[in-house]
Amino acid sequence: MSCDIKRSVSLYSYQDEYYDKKLDLEGCLCETARAGATGVELLAEQMIRRFPLPIETEEFREQWFGWMKKYNLEPSCYDAFLENHIYDNRMLSLGEQINMMKRDIRLASLLGFHNLRTLVSTPMEVIEGSLEYAEQMNVKIGLEVHAPFSLNSGWADGYLEMIHRTGTKYFGFIPDMGIFSRNIPDVVRDKARRHGASEECIKIVDDAYAKRIEKGFVKIKYDLNLGKANMEYRMANGMQEMMDAVKAADGGPADLEYAGSSFTYSWSDPQDIIDNIDYIFHTHAKFYNMHEDYTETAVAIPEVIEAFKKAGYKGYLSSEYEGGEHLRADMEVDSIEQVRRHQEAMRRAIEG
Amino acid sequence: MAGRQIYNPDGFKNIEEDGKVIGYQFKFKAQYYRGITLSIVRDIKVNVDGEDVTRDNIRFTVNGETFTLEEMRTVIDSDYRWEFGDYAAVSIMKEGGLAIGTHHIKALQIIDPSYMPFQIEAVCETDFVIK
Repeated sequence: MSCDIKRSVSLYSYQDEYYDKKLDLEGCLCETARAGATGVELLAEQMIRRFPLPIETEEFREQWFGWMKKYNLEPSCYDAFLENHIYDNRMLSLGEQINMMKRDIRLASLLGFHNLRTLVSTPMEVIEGSLEYAEQMNVKIGLEVHAPFSLNSGWADGYLEMIHRTGTKYFGFIPDMGIFSRNIPDVVRDKARRHGASEECIKIVDDAYAKRIEKGFVKIKYDLNLGKANMEYRMANGMQEMMDAVKAADGGPADLEYAGSSFTYSWSDPQDIIDNIDYIFHTHAKFYNMHEDYTETAVAIPEVIEAFKKAGYKGYLSSEYEGGEHLRADMEVDSIEQVRRHQEAMRRAIEG
Repeated sequence: MAGRQIYNPDGFKNIEEDGKVIGYQFKFKAQYYRGITLSIVRDIKVNVDGEDVTRDNIRFTVNGETFTLEEMRTVIDSDYRWEFGDYAAVSIMKEGGLAIGTHHIKALQIIDPSYMPFQIEAVCETDFVIK
């Protein structure tokens, strides 16, 4: 079966090496290419110092495109952070937020990106107010779909309604593959153990997660109050019962932390990808721990990629390593090896 | 197995001005994954050897410019971001500084990225030596 799925790396993945100054921006691009990817996803605020000023200069852009050529990479997605609470005493006005979004669209375009990731906290009016400019600049705005959110949900319907009402081709979804987690990642469980969680409590939480999958996750609703929507979602998915059971088993802070963190992960049917393929142009291939045999601890990589293939997806799957946060307090993180394994696992699934 | 370094091990020192020790200093990195404007650093709390430092006595330095926590609320200049992976220097105004010897610090970074439903509260704790 011929297939146009491309592989990218989000430089978010290399944050631990960057933090330790083992890799700089060029070093991350070099590693991305060595891992076998042809696309690069950038968090400009992470690795471009004095953001956003250098992007405005020809000198920096020459260097950037020089690197793209040198490492045979294509800009895949620009990750924007709409800092609409930049001052502690107020939210930015709607007009200010739209201007910030337009600034980010322009910055993305200057660096050759045609996709921009925005976060779920971006108000609908800000997205709508930026669509005309996005079209003019040929940059699509993608809303990250990250647990507790999911496709085929009341939450996603709110955005589909906007897409259909406006007829826009410049807005869609960027699924985060963490929404296809079959279990809680092993690195999270190991961290809980290091911090003193009991086997009994761990089992309660793991069983509760398995039960959520078996029954099917109750989906989150569309609500401007994200905190409220999230709490309703947790309660509907049996949080209270699980917490009560952990407490009854003498659960301490490490047990409760493990229980709470279980809601960072969720399971959606990979069919959701096929159903929504018209609105998906970029994907965060989230992963937590790649084993030596190229299996991922939680994310159902082969099944999800199979769905992308069936759907005829032509965009990038962008490796986003998020296991480091469970290791870094106690040990060294090797993101480079993790990304290499992940790219290889995706290659096998795509070409297989 | 060693975890990540938050504090600069060489960054702990007393600060002298005109031959007098006016305080002490430490350097640490933001426990977040991107560079940020100082305006979203909503607070820095410092406790040394079990004693809380008063907010007014804290100074925060990046790229050679020093701010009080109150001033940081409006700092959005690109030259004075807390860059990812860079140390910021925190100075505590305290006559006489710290005694020579071993001390313990517990500092809290409170960072408020706009998209997060909760603020990040990163506890940064270590023993250090003043020579």
